[in-house]
Amino acid sequence: MRAPKTLDLFAPEHLPRRAVRPPVQPVQPQGAPERSTRPSQAPLWLAVHLPRLAPESDSGVPRVLHSLAVRAQRFTPRISLAPPDAVLLEVRSSLHLFGGVDGLRRAMAGECAALGQPAILAFAPSASAALAGTRAGRAFTVLEAGQLAGSLAALPLAALRWPPQLIERLARIGVRTVGAALRLPRAGFAQRFGATRLAALDQLTGRAADPRERFEAPQRFRRRRELPCESDSHALLAVTLRALLEELARFLAARQSGVLALECRLWHRQAVPTRCVLRLGAPLADAARLAALLEERLRSLTLPEPVRACELRAGSPVPQPMHTGGLWRPGERGGLAAAPGVELIERLRARLGPEALETLSLVADRRPEAAWRAGPPALAPDAESQATMRAVPRPLWLLPAPRLLHQRRGLPRWHGALHLEGEPERIETGWWDGREVARDYYNARDGRGRRLWLFREREPPHRWFLHGVYG
Amino acid sequence: MSADGPRRTAPPSSAARADPRLEQLLAHPALWRAGSAVRGAVWSSGFAPLDAGLPGGGWPRSGLIEILPMRFGQGELQLLLPALASLTRRPEARWCIWVAPPLQPFAPALAAAGVALPRLLIVSARGAAALWAFEQALGSGACDCVFAWTRHAPARHIRRLHLAAQRGNTLGVLFRTREAAREASPAMLRVALEPRGDGARVTLLKSRGGARGALDLTWATDAYEPQRMP
Repeated sequence: MRAPKTLDLFAPEHLPRRAVRPPVQPVQPQGAPERSTRPSQAPLWLAVHLPRLAPESDSGVPRVLHSLAVRAQRFTPRISLAPPDAVLLEVRSSLHLFGGVDGLRRAMAGECAALGQPAILAFAPSASAALAGTRAGRAFTVLEAGQLAGSLAALPLAALRWPPQLIERLARIGVRTVGAALRLPRAGFAQRFGATRLAALDQLTGRAADPRERFEAPQRFRRRRELPCESDSHALLAVTLRALLEELARFLAARQSGVLALECRLWHRQAVPTRCVLRLGAPLADAARLAALLEERLRSLTLPEPVRACELRAGSPVPQPMHTGGLWRPGERGGLAAAPGVELIERLRARLGPEALETLSLVADRRPEAAWRAGPPALAPDAESQATMRAVPRPLWLLPAPRLLHQRRGLPRWHGALHLEGEPERIETGWWDGREVARDYYNARDGRGRRLWLFREREPPHRWFLHGVYG
Repeated sequence: MSADGPRRTAPPSSAARADPRLEQLLAHPALWRAGSAVRGAVWSSGFAPLDAGLPGGGWPRSGLIEILPMRFGQGELQLLLPALASLTRRPEARWCIWVAPPLQPFAPALAAAGVALPRLLIVSARGAAALWAFEQALGSGACDCVFAWTRHAPARHIRRLHLAAQRGNTLGVLFRTREAAREASPAMLRVALEPRGDGARVTLLKSRGGARGALDLTWATDAYEPQRMP
């Protein structure tokens, strides 16, 4: 049996063959509004149980279940997964189109057979009841809430998938079926077995609402666009990709999501398509930023042939929380760093490597090489400077390592004689970490008028080193 | 337009002052005339005599300038330090990026001069990658100022860098050696520098609408004192 692809309601073979209709006046659950605009709003759930899936395989949702849910989307949009072994469909409004309960049962069984899985199907006004029925192996059909308790009465308690100890405790007081459990006094039941179990029983009979998480099929973005002519021009490629990326941005915006991976395929006449994969550190949904990053990547590609078409495939969308607007202006106390800064740092890191960017901070240490520290840039920098310095003049530039200077008659030389100025400053510290220094620092001026920072070792060779430039 | 066709506009020299419409047009901030000061926003250089000589009264807030010392380390950074300190200390400060500095910037000296270190970002790159990073930083709009040290910067690249700086509303500073002064450059301002005692002689080689000539500056020897809350 194949369900109609198009909605031709007047074709005679699509009319319901048997008078299985939703009840005109359904039983309203207690507390539900009496006046309803449409009479058949009471839900009807179809549970599809695949007994071959082992109940203990609780490592996420099995693939078969996932693909069954995707296939079931042609019957109804309201689908819920009941891992590890069942799918729930709300089908009240689909009955008429798919030939009533029998037609729907046949169509759904066909879908399961196509996946190579035998299935047990049950209809009930409550999702838990339909689920419990199929898990007990009863393919019942209950259309009205009033008949529910009677159909459930004979089900063994094991069908509820409660913990075995609990079922054993109930068995010891002679309660082995759902019907027996329903006959117990409510207050006592809640006291002895917990309010959640009582709530589960209420959901079973339809007394309490049974909200189910809706299944959303993962959607992937995949578009292809032909170039107006075969070309290896970078500009034409960029324009075409920009249009595709704008479509992608709209696709993502509608889902409040971003992508983490993007693949661009360039199709040629003969050669195999050129692939270009972009991986991102954080979900991104902005067409302009994606285009900039992708163009950066494409620039490094060599094309074997002119390009005929490009195709964009996005990884699965990752939900992105909406940004909260800041109270403070960027840079103010408590304000976030301006967004363009983050973007710039991302781009520089992508091209130059993460270690190429650094910010400096102070360390309270008298040794010049230990008085600062380089770290990765903070995206929301704190405007407060950590330490305040003593007012000692220091050079603006430090050599990566002190540079040994030649000397003549005990005086240092570097591109000619150096003229020492002022009093020396002694730095003698660091005995505790094995990098002890004992130096006398001098300011000096070279023949070109530059101010330098030199030191002389206090230990016997008394060598001279250049350590800084005033700049 | 053919050479012998009729000229519709009068020569500007005679009608410039007479025509009120032209005066109105010249009031537009994007238009400037040679010989008059640029009306763009500026950062004070921190040296009063230099401010008086610079077009507009300070370093331009957007655009590319060149600093040309005779050799590296002759005070070219001292020249910009007061402006850098006041710029990074603003609450709404953007990044200040140094691309390819030739040596390790010494953080204690910068902090002592009043530079807010968390705003300072050092980017190490070489050659073409350094020029690329410089242009990206200039055009991003995320920086107040971007300094770059480079040996080779052809004039067409400097033109691109200048446009990027204007797009990003950023002050770009290119440090080159004095030999570069022989080449033409589209930079807004070219400043040559030679050491002189405890200061430097600063020569404005090119300044749109500013004064030309040399002036002597003395570096402040007393370190910056951070203002404390009482």
